[in-house]
Amino acid sequence: MTSTKRFLDRIMLLDLFAGLGITFKYIFKKKVTVQYPEERMEPSHRFRGMFRLDEDRCIKCTLCARDCPIDIIYIDWHQEVNPETEKKEKLLDRFDIDLQRCMFCGLCEEACPTNPKSIWLTTKTYELASYERWENLYIDMAELQEWKVRPEYTDREIEK
Amino acid sequence: MAELLSGLREAAGPFLFDYTIQPALKIALVMAVVLGLIAYLTLAERKILGFLQVRTGPNRVGPWGVLQPIADVAKLLVKEDSIPDRAVRWAFVLAPCLVVGPALVIFAVVPFGPSSATTGGANWFITDVNVGLLFVIAMATISVYGIILGGWSSNSKFSLLGGLRSAAQMISYEVPQGFSLVVPLLMAGTMSLNGIVMSQLEQGRWFAFGFFPFGFLAFFVYFVAGVAESNRNPFDLPEAESELVAGFHTEYSGMRFALFFLGEYANMIVVSAIGVTLFLGGWSRPFPNVEVLSFLDLGFLPVGLAGLVWFTLKLVVFLFTFIWFRGTFPRYRFDQLMDLGWKWLIPTSLIAVVGTGLAKILFG
Amino acid sequence: MTDIETTAPQPSETLLGVEEMELNFGPQHPATHGVLRLKVKLDGERIVDCYPIIGYLHRGTEKLFELHPFFQNVPHTDRMDYVAAATNNLAYVGAVEKLIGIIVPPRARYIRTILAELQRISSHLLWLATHAIDIGAMTPFFYTFREREHVLDLFEDYCGARLTLNCMRPGGQPFDLPVGWTEKCAEFIESFPENIAEYEGLLTNNRIWKKRTVGVGVLDPDVALDYGVTGPMLRGSGIDWDLRKARPYEAYSEVEFDVPVFFNCDTYDRYLVRMEEMRQSVRILRQCLDQLPDGPIMAKKPRVLKAPKEGEVYYGVEGPKGEIGFYIIGDGSPNPYRCRVRPPSFLNLQVLPEMIRGDLLADLIAVIGTTDIVLGEVDR
Repeated sequence: MTSTKRFLDRIMLLDLFAGLGITFKYIFKKKVTVQYPEERMEPSHRFRGMFRLDEDRCIKCTLCARDCPIDIIYIDWHQEVNPETEKKEKLLDRFDIDLQRCMFCGLCEEACPTNPKSIWLTTKTYELASYERWENLYIDMAELQEWKVRPEYTDREIEK
Repeated sequence: MAELLSGLREAAGPFLFDYTIQPALKIALVMAVVLGLIAYLTLAERKILGFLQVRTGPNRVGPWGVLQPIADVAKLLVKEDSIPDRAVRWAFVLAPCLVVGPALVIFAVVPFGPSSATTGGANWFITDVNVGLLFVIAMATISVYGIILGGWSSNSKFSLLGGLRSAAQMISYEVPQGFSLVVPLLMAGTMSLNGIVMSQLEQGRWFAFGFFPFGFLAFFVYFVAGVAESNRNPFDLPEAESELVAGFHTEYSGMRFALFFLGEYANMIVVSAIGVTLFLGGWSRPFPNVEVLSFLDLGFLPVGLAGLVWFTLKLVVFLFTFIWFRGTFPRYRFDQLMDLGWKWLIPTSLIAVVGTGLAKILFG
Repeated sequence: MTDIETTAPQPSETLLGVEEMELNFGPQHPATHGVLRLKVKLDGERIVDCYPIIGYLHRGTEKLFELHPFFQNVPHTDRMDYVAAATNNLAYVGAVEKLIGIIVPPRARYIRTILAELQRISSHLLWLATHAIDIGAMTPFFYTFREREHVLDLFEDYCGARLTLNCMRPGGQPFDLPVGWTEKCAEFIESFPENIAEYEGLLTNNRIWKKRTVGVGVLDPDVALDYGVTGPMLRGSGIDWDLRKARPYEAYSEVEFDVPVFFNCDTYDRYLVRMEEMRQSVRILRQCLDQLPDGPIMAKKPRVLKAPKEGEVYYGVEGPKGEIGFYIIGDGSPNPYRCRVRPPSFLNLQVLPEMIRGDLLADLIAVIGTTDIVLGEVDR
């Protein structure tokens, strides 16, 4: 750029006008605002939201409790003879999750050996706020099974 | 309407009416409109900034956020009014008033429309002092006191720094602003604001385009100095959140803060109104001397109202440019700001003044 | 918190007989990008000295590493530099693999490179947003975050989270790319360079931006080398050192790219370095997507990863902010014995007083922005 052109550039403030032009054309463009809560953004298929336990699939191996990086899963089980099938089977006494510390990392889900997984995080629920302090902080087994799963996602598809 | 007013005039006596009641009515009307305009300017700023930034502005409180200023005012009114412990009370209380008051007072001389000579009816301004321009400059200077007092009386380091910086900025930008105001004065030959508008009409062109390029230089300097005077981006360092946590109005809350805030927007509107009056032809239509475009006179409206419509349109363009600047530019550092004012704007405005003077002598 | 003022000059009388003012840029401040506390000694507007005081975000991450086996520590690494989680993960899993001796299959290496470069773009976009808004330009913030949404959506599609990714494991990748991900990524790469051009149009030639950043925060290259500064800070001072070229890891030896180096050592040059790095990231991404091989994504490794007794390793990667490294000592058990993090922001923060001495208070904000610190990393 020759020095006269640069001088004219400085005097005529062309760099400032370029910036003004860029912002001006955005007035007429489509806005990216998503009007929450009327519109919501759809989480992806693998989104790690609030998890849910399906007790009928659970084999009580406690691998999830062992793999949790912050040890927030508390499992108690005992063995009992089922009167109908005359076989020993494990029954779940307690499966509690301390939600104050859960970081939704998904390691418990990865550890679960059943197929489909018994503990799975893809309920796509991320709105966990509550009005009272004692709700939603310590989830016990009963609540875990009835967690507010959106009905269209009650069963997770297996990824090939 | 006209019969009501003339009936009132007869009842009260012409002297009392002309000098007390009519001005009082006009002041009430202008203040109501101006204060409403200031409140909705805050909404307009947020919406326009949002649009520039590829998002919608406020749109929750009423359709398109129309009730947002009311919600803001209501919130600020019920906030706790706290005064810092060792603040200087009288200065703390007086400071916001000194910022808002003078800005509103200037509206007394701004011509929103033609005088009674043109309309054959009422004057479309509150009053026309024949040293109107001097009055405007004087009132604009008083707001500096408000800022200094606000910053100093808060008894806080951040506020003090912000107040001093703002005061230095405003004083140093008043010099080029004053010089640039001399140019329309030279071109018009009168200091009265209505007279300046009339002379733009008579000369058939706006002063921003008079004696090209000197009129334009003066307009440009006035605009930049106006942005700096009202502490707006790119010259808003004194109240920059990221640097000094809101500067001189850090310690203010509730309605006092609202007054400072209002004062800033009132300043913006005043700077725009004066700029429109002096450089962009006030209430006259664009291209006043071109016959072909005489439909722009809006003949279907009464003359005064047409003038008001053009005035408002030009004011809106000015205000939009203020907001546009805020959305686009980074901020100048304080010493660079002062550099710009003293080293660049003052010589430019001086060139404009001298050039206009010479051109006036040579070309009449 | 006790104040550490061992080698500081005490407030003294300057030539005019005026005392210096000490200003506390407290932990809560809109411009310090986290809980950083700075004690600034001012002479009028000139900064005489400044001491950063950190530790407000210390969470004991390095101790937490010692309590769990190797693969469970990956979520902890996300939370150090929370803006660029993928490169943290990469450094950690790379260190574990080097310690135990696992070879990662090629597809996993390419996927890791793609994730790391996407993360670099996302981190630089955030840096640009906050830097610009500190200097006063509000609009680049919104434009960059709009682009960042696309990158975060890509991450969400891949591993389920947007910020704390947990997307790598020692030995490979936990899941493969979902169907349609490469197309989405390619779409993003095509549209991104025009956005970079937009930000540049708003800022690079803007005279106000140049006035605020040229000549501000000058970092001498020798001082930078002495303090161990890495990343764009170093490359803005003229030293051509990038771990991706010097010690290639993952798939970087198989792609072509340039490393931007500028020589004026000021804030403007660091800005140019990071903008150019975004473009080079796009170039790397394009090549990686073209060359993506098929194959397994997890190496054959033992079920329980045990470190060799007396094994110790250091492994560093080029994160967006500099070299992030892990020094892991194993003792034969599944847990690490000691895991020490080399955080780039911590070392970059050391040079803040060197850069800012003699400049004005308003420049402090610009310089903190250009140092690109994330307090999660500084304090761990």
